[in-house]
This record gives sequence, structure tokens and C-alpha cells, in this order.
Amino acid sequence: MGGRAAVAPASAVILVFGIGRIEQARFCERGCAAEPVRATKRAIISLVIRRLYVHNFRCLENFELSVSGQSSVLLIGKNGSGKTTVALVLEILQRIARGTNRVGDLVKPESRGRADVPVRFEIEVGIGGKIYEYVIALELPEGFKELRVLEEKLAVGGVPAYTRDVAQVNLAVPGPEHGAKPGTDARGKPISAAALMSGAARFRIDWHLVALPIVQGRSETDPIFIFKRWLARMLILRPIPALIAGESKQKTLEPNIRVTDFAAWFTGLLASAPAAYAKIDEYLKQVMPDLKDIQNPVIGKDSQNLAVRFSNEQGTLSVPFEDLSDGEKCFMICAVVLAANEAYGPLLCFWDEPDNYLALDEVGHFVLALRQAFQSGGQFIATSHNPEAIRRFSSENTLLLHRRNHLEPTQVRRLDQLDVHGDLVGALIRGDVQP
Amino acid sequence: MSVNRNKPHVLVLPEDDANSDVANGFHLEIHQVRQMQVLPVGGGWTKVLNCFETDHICKMEANPNRFMILLIDFDGHEDRLDQAMAVIPTRLSDRVFVLGAWTKPEKLKGAGLGSYEAIGRAMAKDCREGTRTIWEHDLLRHNASEFDRLHNRVWPFLA
Repeated sequence: MGGRAAVAPASAVILVFGIGRIEQARFCERGCAAEPVRATKRAIISLVIRRLYVHNFRCLENFELSVSGQSSVLLIGKNGSGKTTVALVLEILQRIARGTNRVGDLVKPESRGRADVPVRFEIEVGIGGKIYEYVIALELPEGFKELRVLEEKLAVGGVPAYTRDVAQVNLAVPGPEHGAKPGTDARGKPISAAALMSGAARFRIDWHLVALPIVQGRSETDPIFIFKRWLARMLILRPIPALIAGESKQKTLEPNIRVTDFAAWFTGLLASAPAAYAKIDEYLKQVMPDLKDIQNPVIGKDSQNLAVRFSNEQGTLSVPFEDLSDGEKCFMICAVVLAANEAYGPLLCFWDEPDNYLALDEVGHFVLALRQAFQSGGQFIATSHNPEAIRRFSSENTLLLHRRNHLEPTQVRRLDQLDVHGDLVGALIRGDVQP
Repeated sequence: MSVNRNKPHVLVLPEDDANSDVANGFHLEIHQVRQMQVLPVGGGWTKVLNCFETDHICKMEANPNRFMILLIDFDGHEDRLDQAMAVIPTRLSDRVFVLGAWTKPEKLKGAGLGSYEAIGRAMAKDCREGTRTIWEHDLLRHNASEFDRLHNRVWPFLA
């Protein structure tokens, strides 16, 4: 990685790297084994996405997902209506927070809807009673082959933590500390917006690099740190059970989208919060009453391997994790989602088609368990085509995404704002549900 | 797996999506989630009764752990409960409950009781706390005797 010059203000820690993924101190910053999960849950008492705005990205044009106040939301719509694209936007934001800072690694020019309009992502989220707003706009000037950052901003309670105009980054100094009123200094004295953004913390970075992974919070109470950790820990799930094995060589609290690192996630969760096993056990024993326990023995240097034991009056059977059925692996993932939300949440969980791989009589219970768990904190967003999953949500928390054709953008409407009579599933089957 | 058939469990047969949403709200508030299952909507109160007769009576007779709630609209008809009860065999009547809005759930929503899920949650809260806050509403108080039976027979294994 080639370093780039930067003028670091005395009051902020700024690490500027070259292109690619920033690996520095990730394990520590994200709070895994080296830094057990601790006060975060007390500090972050509530969490919901208030607004997700996307413009000129694939089929999403002037698209706003309003999910404020909803602990669980279902996205429905025909194939190609944009449901998975919403997940992709969240994934891009998550990858930024997890350290991918090269714009070209995040968004390709072909992802733009129109060539002459910037791509824009805006997310507004309530964390611990404060509103965090992150904005990033990308453009492709004439002659460029890679998108560059046109605008970037992180604001807390309406007060900028930093702003950015192309290569110029203006870091608020001093940054509002978590627990202090936004716009005040550590002693609580008001700081004017002009003072916040005035000269002391200006620096320039490569316009092909996103600033958020580079600008580091000074402590765990720094709003930049809190927001990045929240964004990095979002659970965006589209599991492929056949690819999930039981062996882990690392620990993580940030599973990948396909959850192929499930074993590392399981190991990381229990290393950080051993009591989380009780929640995992409680859920799984409801689903699989003959479950005895889950073992994760060390099998070599820095390597562990999951096995699930079942028992009844006939005896005990140990099953290697990879030998579980696809549906059973999904139960395992669900159990860890529930436990993770308790242990280091509240979290945002976006699960693309959680009903996949499940028996029909399990779908409703599966969805309801997730909905119920996120009532007390965090937010659960699902997509589905499955009638039973759709029925476990209601018109007030179901959003319909619709697109007339591939040349027109996605529209989104809440179901209770649509003229749907009778059985919703029947209307969906007939193709009668439209904005 | 699914609803545990070897333990007391309740199946809810809602008339339409609005009633299903109310049942969802109720379901979200109970502890023993897997002892309750909301079935696909019937598509009208007569269809609910037909479905009960054709699909569920024999299953209930085979499984003494099964309870059922028929969630229908009364449409302002005082004899609706009697009409529903008429299709329930006497031998099963202590395990079947007929509940619903006096007119339609839309009226409950319009009466300022919140969303359908919120109404269902409030119903569960009354069960949990032994109160009748929402069940005493003008559009729900006709359920009093069924609510009492439900509270005594079903709530204990859902709480």
C-alpha cells in the first residue's frame, strides 16, 4: 500500500493509506477477541434506519426507503424490482465502514443509471438517541475511467463531523464527543458551525478514495467511531448454506453476506460474549428439541471446528457442521443473529429471502422469531416472495417495490397506502398489486 | 418442529388480511411463539367456517392438544356468534373460540386504536396483565365470554 501525504490536525487521528482495504487494527477497532464487547449496548440504546436515499444507482433513482419507527420491515415486489439492489447499497456502505476505501472497488461506472448525474447514497440512522447522517456522492468526469468522490459528509445531530468536497476534507475540530451535546466542546461550550469547519483540520486526499475509512475516531465515544462500527456491524445476509463449513481460523463479529465465515462469527461472538451461547441454545432447542449442544473444539494451531450434538433416549449423535442440512444451517444463522443482536447490538439485519431453504411449516416461526427479537432493539429488514413469510408481516410494515420496465426506476409504496383488497398473497399471484 | 403438536397449541384461522395482521400483532407479544400459528386467510367468514368444518374438525378430534381461534368479522350481526357456534361440534366447543370485531377491523383502526398489529398487541397485553382495556372497546366487548374462555384455556400455554 502506498501512503499519501496528509496534514493531520492535532486533535484527530487520521491514517491515510493507499488504495484497497484498510486492515489496520480492524480486530481491535471492531471489538472482537482483543477487545470484548462491552459498553456499546448501554451506549447505543436505540437504532433504526430513519432514511435511506439512493439516486442514480442501478434501478434506484430518487429512491427513498422510509423505515423510520419500524423494528421490522418486509420488502416485496416482482423479480428485478430493486429489492436486492437495496441490500447492495447497504453492502457498499458496509464495505466502506469495513475498510474498503477505493471507489473503484465499491461502485463501477456501469452501475449508474444516467451518465450525467452523480450517484448518491444517503443514510440517516438513530444511534443512542443521536441522528447520524452520512452522505456520499460519486461522479465520473469526462475522460475518467473510475468514479471519484464528489461530495461526502458525516453529520451528528445536524452538526458536521466532517465534510468533503472532491479532494478537500474538512474535519470538525474538536469533534463532538458521544455523550456531549452535538456542537459543543468537551466542556459543553457551544461551537459555531463556522468554527467547527474552520481551517484547522483541512486536508486533501485522493479523490478516488472514500474518506470515512481513513478518518479515525479518537476514542470509542467519538461519533465517527460509533457510526463506523455500527455500519461495519450491519448484518446483510444472503446465506448459501452449501458453502458454509464448520472450520474457523479467525474470529469475527462481521460476517460476510453469504455467511461462509459462519464458524468464525460463531467463535467471535462467543469469545466476545460467552453468555450469548444461552440465547443460541434457547432458540435452537425450540426448533430442534433433540439438540444437545454445539461443540467448537480446537483442532490445530489457531483452528476450531464446529460440531452439533443431538441426543435422546437412544443415545447421542455428533454431526459435523457441514453435514447439517441447508435449513438447519439457516436455523444456526438465525440463532446467532438473535444472540448477536443481544450481545453487541442493537444491529440492523437485512436478510434477503430468509425463507430460503426452510420447510413450509418453519417459515412463519422463523420470520416471527426475528421480528420479535428486533422489537426490543435494532431493525430487521427482509425481502421475500414466500407467501408464508409475507403473511407474517402486516400492511403497515410491508413495502412494495415496483418497476414498470427495465428503463424506468423503482417506485416504493407502503402496502397500507395501496388499494389492495382481499387476500394479499392472491393479489400478488395475480400480479394485481401495483403502486 | 413447527408448532409442537405434542403440547397445547393454537391455530388461528383469520377471515382476511386485516384479521391476520391483528393476529400477527398478538403473536409478536407472546412468549411461546411456537405454540401458536396463524393460518392463511379464509377469504370471508363463511369460508372460515367451511374451512374449519372440512379441514380442522377431524384434526382437532385426533389431537386433544389443538385449540383453534376463528377470527371473523361480525359485520354488526348479533347472530354471527351463534351461526359460527353451530358448525362447531359440541365435543370440540371448549377448544374452539370465535372472536372478531363487531363490524370490521377497519373500524377499530378508524377508532384510533392504532394499526392492526398494534390492536393485536394490545389484546395480548390485556391477556398478560389480566386487564380488559382494549377488549372493553365498543367494537370488541361482545367478545367478553369468548375472551374469558380464551384467557383461561389458551393464554396459560402462550404466556
